Amino acid sequence: MTQPNDPPQPERGNSPESGARPEPDRTQDVSGARGVAGENGVAPDSADSLGGGSPSSQGEAPPWWPDAAGEVAPDEQWHHPAPEGMRRLSPRILVTEPVRYLRTLFPFVIVALIFGTTNPMVLTGAVLAIVGFLVSGFVTWQTVRYQVTSEHLEIHRGLVNRSKRTIPLERIRGVDVTSTLLHRIFGLAVVRVEAAAGGGHSEEGTLDAIDVGEAERLRDELLRRRAELRGQTHEHQGPQSTSDAALASGASTPGATDHTDTTVEPDAPTEEDLPQHSTSTRVHFVLPARWYLFGALSLGYLLTPFVVLATLLGFAGQVARDARLASDVDVQSVADWIAESSAATILWAVVGGIAVLLVLMPAFAVVSYAVNNWSFTLWRRGVSLVAERGLFTRHSVTLELRRVRGYEILDSPLERWASTAALRAIVTGLGDAATRATLLPIVRRSTLHRVVSSALTPFRGELVAHPPAARSRRLFRAVTPFVVLAGIAWALGQYWFAVTALVLALASVPLGIDRYRALGHGYDGHHVSVRSGSLSRTQAVIERPAIIGWRWNQSLFQRRVGLATLEVSVGAGSGGYSALDMNFADSVRFVSEVTPDMVRPFLVDTSPSGPQDEAAT
Amino acid sequence: MWTVSGLAGAVVKILFGVAVASTVAVARFGWVPVWVLDNVWWLFAAYATYALVRAVVIPQWRYRVHRWEVSDDLVYTRTGWLNMNWQLVPISRVQTVDHTRTWLERLFGLATVQIQTASHAGSSEITGLEEQLAGQIAEDIAGRAGELRDDAT
Repeated sequence: MTQPNDPPQPERGNSPESGARPEPDRTQDVSGARGVAGENGVAPDSADSLGGGSPSSQGEAPPWWPDAAGEVAPDEQWHHPAPEGMRRLSPRILVTEPVRYLRTLFPFVIVALIFGTTNPMVLTGAVLAIVGFLVSGFVTWQTVRYQVTSEHLEIHRGLVNRSKRTIPLERIRGVDVTSTLLHRIFGLAVVRVEAAAGGGHSEEGTLDAIDVGEAERLRDELLRRRAELRGQTHEHQGPQSTSDAALASGASTPGATDHTDTTVEPDAPTEEDLPQHSTSTRVHFVLPARWYLFGALSLGYLLTPFVVLATLLGFAGQVARDARLASDVDVQSVADWIAESSAATILWAVVGGIAVLLVLMPAFAVVSYAVNNWSFTLWRRGVSLVAERGLFTRHSVTLELRRVRGYEILDSPLERWASTAALRAIVTGLGDAATRATLLPIVRRSTLHRVVSSALTPFRGELVAHPPAARSRRLFRAVTPFVVLAGIAWALGQYWFAVTALVLALASVPLGIDRYRALGHGYDGHHVSVRSGSLSRTQAVIERPAIIGWRWNQSLFQRRVGLATLEVSVGAGSGGYSALDMNFADSVRFVSEVTPDMVRPFLVDTSPSGPQDEAAT
Repeated sequence: MWTVSGLAGAVVKILFGVAVASTVAVARFGWVPVWVLDNVWWLFAAYATYALVRAVVIPQWRYRVHRWEVSDDLVYTRTGWLNMNWQLVPISRVQTVDHTRTWLERLFGLATVQIQTASHAGSSEITGLEEQLAGQIAEDIAGRAGELRDDAT
């Protein structure tokens, strides 16, 4: 793919001017500019087509471009990038590290401040601790070094016990840049390099913390070198090539008609020629401000205030206990007040409290949702999808498209009512995937489908409903626990409890029906889709090549009514996605339709009349 | 072998039951309903019978249900007794093949073959194979997996 001799020239041409370049916005434009420069060296024809782009890219040179031109030139070569020099963390961690320690020790600090004024021991301790933090910050800054060589990322750390972690560039699965509020004040960022070690264990290298600019540069550098290594050593096309082509064509279809869909750089031809190297940027989605209101629809966020409240109550309890140690007066007076007030006053207080909570709940939900998903942006950079979000702590997650084996559409009843949903990617080897693989927060369904069809490949098939026996099963499972509970409570003479359980049982009838209505499975030739759940409904869509096996589960009750749960095994996401309560014969037919060569050897006759017939032995 | 391990399990359970029953009988905790205290030995006897029957019946049942087959590019297993479980694993997606023998299995000349894929849900296990056969299968699968290997994880 790469010619060894011609590449360096454009880079050399660029680098001497680098010191004098003005500062750009340091976001996607930067990497786009960088990508243009890189492509010039790789493909002669794309260099022609992008010739007009190069001058402008010089104007947008990154601020982190190293000053010494001699240092840059060798590692910008395409064929054998020479090792970079050792680099250190930002000296600003001398400030952030102690502050972070102090934050975790906040309660102690407060205590020290309260009692320290009278107690010289505590005061001395506090001063010593602060000095200690400063020293440890200094030691961290002095000892942690990292280096990008032609094949590895090496991280050295430790003063007494030295450690050196070497991550092969080929193994890098993603580079995340995160910065908390504290880091952002000082212009710092944490870089997490995620790598796959043998046996599917995830191994990470964390650099806490380096300059934001340096973080961006490091990420681009790592991803670019990795792409080169892959391009040179092996062909990673295989079964993905079709999907890549499909993605590329999907991305360039004119179907994407939306105001938020701005193409930063016209790049379609090069993207298809060089899927590994193109670093073009394309914004798929930016969360509009008024959609923060959708946070009120999310059950998770609605429940957040209760968690906070519980924490606060716990804290208050603790404080009260501490206060009681000091003096009994306050607690006593509250108790007196409760004893003196009439029952009606207390009732009103409780009702008022609940009403306030009910009003505040959505408000809290919206606020916490907005804080988490502030200016959520999803864009495509080269062969990766990048999702960035957060008001105080800014998360930026880079997902390689090659590793995205499908996606999940998540919604709750409230979100369905407003016809909104969230989107999550099914990614190979991503730790903590539940939060990090989020591609879209709660958005309108139409937007979701537009983003899916421009960023990923949409599922075009219809979902097939499951047999009626599945409905009775869902209903039975939803209602029975409460009925049994009610029966036990009645037997034990807890009538109030029994009635409550009965009401809950009645309330879960629609839940069961809704659960049944959510059930479905489908196949459109490229993707398998299964859907289940009610309070949190999930529709998973999985690429056919990503399927690494099938599994049927059948309980005694399911066997009686001829149902079975079919589980699709995928080497990504949660590992398995289930189609609950399919008709057994249907499920076998479905599997043989999706992956004919997987089942055919085991089908005795094409119309299995029952579970037992499927066994060939 | 399942019968033996089941019986061993049953013996442990029965011993545990004796311990529980005797403590209950001796201590006569206030929170235990009176009728339980009075019939503690009957309850224990019922439990012991159940455990024994379970230990004898279930292995037979499982033996009848359990099936496995290795074709050119697929491993098929069927397990379970009340909840049945069928699994198809294409050999091309197999990542590791483990061949293990516990001390009890060694006593009976048996072995277990574990077939692991990238997905936890897609990993399979064949228990109670004869030792030589297990070794052979493990080698076969590993060899085939090497030949058919494709990159998709």
